[in-house]
Amino acid sequence: MQTLTSGPLVTKTYEVNVRKNRFAASALAAGLAASLAACSSGTSEDPSGEATTIDVWLMRDSVTDAFLDEFVADFEADNPNTDVNVQIQEWDGIGQRVVSAIASNDAPDVIEVGNTQVAQYAASGGLTDLGDKVSELGGADWIPGLAEPGRIGDAQYGIPYYAANRVVVYNTELFEAAGITGPPTTRDEWIAATTTLNSGDVQGIYLPGQNWYALAGFVWDEGGDLAVQDGETWKGALDTPEALAGMDFYAQLQALGKGPKDSDEANPPQVDVFSAGDVAQIIATPGAGRQIVEANPELEGKIGYFPVPGKTADEPGAVFTGGSNLVIPVATSHPDEAYTFVAALAGDEWQEKLAVAMSYVPNKTTLADVLADDPGAAAMAIGAHNGHATPNSPEWAAVEANNPIKNYMTQVLTGADPNEAATTASEAITSALSGG
Amino acid sequence: MTVPSEVAARTTPHTVKRGASSPRDRHRTRTNAPRGRTSFWPYLLVAPTVLLIGAVLGYPVVRNVVMSFQEFGLRELVQGAPAFVGLANYRELFADHVFWEVVVRTLAFTAVNVVLIMVLSTLVALMLARLGRVLRVAVMTGLVVVWAMPVIAATTVWQWLFQSRFGVVNWVLVQLGLDQFQDYSWLANGSATFALIVVLVVWQSVPFAALTLYAGLTTVPAELFEAARIDGAAGWALFRRITFPVLRSLFGLIASLEVIWVFKCFVQIWAISEGGPNDATTTLPVYAYQVAQTLNRYDLAGAVSVITVVVLTILLLVYFRQSLRQETNR
Repeated sequence: MQTLTSGPLVTKTYEVNVRKNRFAASALAAGLAASLAACSSGTSEDPSGEATTIDVWLMRDSVTDAFLDEFVADFEADNPNTDVNVQIQEWDGIGQRVVSAIASNDAPDVIEVGNTQVAQYAASGGLTDLGDKVSELGGADWIPGLAEPGRIGDAQYGIPYYAANRVVVYNTELFEAAGITGPPTTRDEWIAATTTLNSGDVQGIYLPGQNWYALAGFVWDEGGDLAVQDGETWKGALDTPEALAGMDFYAQLQALGKGPKDSDEANPPQVDVFSAGDVAQIIATPGAGRQIVEANPELEGKIGYFPVPGKTADEPGAVFTGGSNLVIPVATSHPDEAYTFVAALAGDEWQEKLAVAMSYVPNKTTLADVLADDPGAAAMAIGAHNGHATPNSPEWAAVEANNPIKNYMTQVLTGADPNEAATTASEAITSALSGG
Repeated sequence: MTVPSEVAARTTPHTVKRGASSPRDRHRTRTNAPRGRTSFWPYLLVAPTVLLIGAVLGYPVVRNVVMSFQEFGLRELVQGAPAFVGLANYRELFADHVFWEVVVRTLAFTAVNVVLIMVLSTLVALMLARLGRVLRVAVMTGLVVVWAMPVIAATTVWQWLFQSRFGVVNWVLVQLGLDQFQDYSWLANGSATFALIVVLVVWQSVPFAALTLYAGLTTVPAELFEAARIDGAAGWALFRRITFPVLRSLFGLIASLEVIWVFKCFVQIWAISEGGPNDATTTLPVYAYQVAQTLNRYDLAGAVSVITVVVLTILLLVYFRQSLRQETNR
């Protein structure tokens, strides 16, 4: 998963991110990545053994400021000999940074990684196997979509952290003004409502051209997929009639607003666009609602949520189940402290608080009740019944790293022949999934 | 008219290349050095440089070459112990049509850029030589500012200019009545993206070439032009018969520097298009980076970069061989 939510900087950057763009070196150096990887910044260690500092990488929009302050203070109180240094990382280009971190001798002690990327890191052998801790952590209740990607056989490399899927976040005031009484429950109703909303200065929906998670949902709705497995090999499947129908619907919806055709939901951050007040809908995780109100307090109480509508009212639209895992690199110098940290953050107490703070689904099915009063989470829970994962290949991270689907979408939206563009993109996916 | 070759040889800034090879210079060097025995001083003085280059450049290059003969993926990066696989990586590359497309594209990209850079910078240099003082300073200041601008900063500004919704280029085009450029996505079209990057690279390279050529122009004795004008030469003939022959080696040097610069150009392409759309702007350096960083095939990327160096060396050898032949002919 690349970007769960996109939005303003809801979290404070605890330390300037010095590692970003470490690889902005010349291409000739590309092959030299291995030798460079060792020069990462250090974990500080008190030689007297009094206090240990553990470095933790969390992702943008993983936690709120307040949550992080509270959690860290509590953790340090419980573990007086451990100091926690949290760095907030951006999703963009995170793959390279994690790869170089786990390949170094001096990795961060705990890293949050996306659930579609964890399989690749696990297969590399750079992550600590926590298989013997699973029962201690209550692993039997973990959400399968989070636990499985981080598991190889009996070895558990990724510890489930949180999950989320996308819903439609809407401006209730604009809906009322347009005379739309209830949220749409089918695609046809959705298009009709959005068309009505999209008049004057109001954008019916702000859907940037490259929200490929949304496209994936529409493709799944049609019975297609991004890639299909054929024996041992994977093939890109954007050129199937089903996938093309999904793209067709995306284009139809995208036209009902002013979303740029050549960028994704993070650029510009779509919650910022929404918070200006003239956008009726965006497709985002429910946490976006909180960020919108932070950016523009006048929208307090005017944010509603509904599941992405499906083709019929009986079934919600298919959605991508995104989420994160916590991993401990083999190269950590503080495996015990790192595990203590993971156990606390993935433990029930803080999972419940995190779920409430961020409208995320907690890592255990048994904790789902904490979201009962959260309207965004309720919409998310309905959508989750039709949740899907990206193709289950360890190479999938390579597709996301240089995403041909985004390019394909822009091409189609700017007038290219969908069949041709889909064939090209499918070939690119096939090639990335074959590891070369 | 023809210029006697001796005149040309004596008046050119040939020291750039000829240097110690001319008999006069060699003689001078010999008289300055202690006679009879080899001094260790030159070696000692040059040693730190050689060692430093060996450490920061030589070692990575050797690692890179070695890696291109190994199986080296994410697993090997993390765990070490890569196995040697002989020429397998090279064989895989040569069998891949994508690779050949990238090679051809790189050569085309280099050719287009270098030709444009040379033509434009020559024109700018000639113009500078004719401008009055004030305008010349103004133009030179403009050139220096462009040259001094950090590549990433310039590239970012470029991206903003061509941004589909808020970019000033689309705005201007729409104001001019070209409504099809409303929200036009430049970066969705392969040829448009390619052209955009070419313009950016040319714009960034012209200052260096133009200023250097202008400096060269000022060394050409005015009498040569006067004599030629008396003989009736003007305009193009003047350039072809006097300016170019006299500055031939300077032109050659700048052209080869630009070949190197354009061939290995990476930052501009990566920042603007990441090699897209549909690989339309993927040149060898970008390809190597993609293979290494998105596919985690460090072995293949190593092979690509080795091939990049080989191709570049071949290109430059052609030039050096030719200029060497010219030297001997003289």
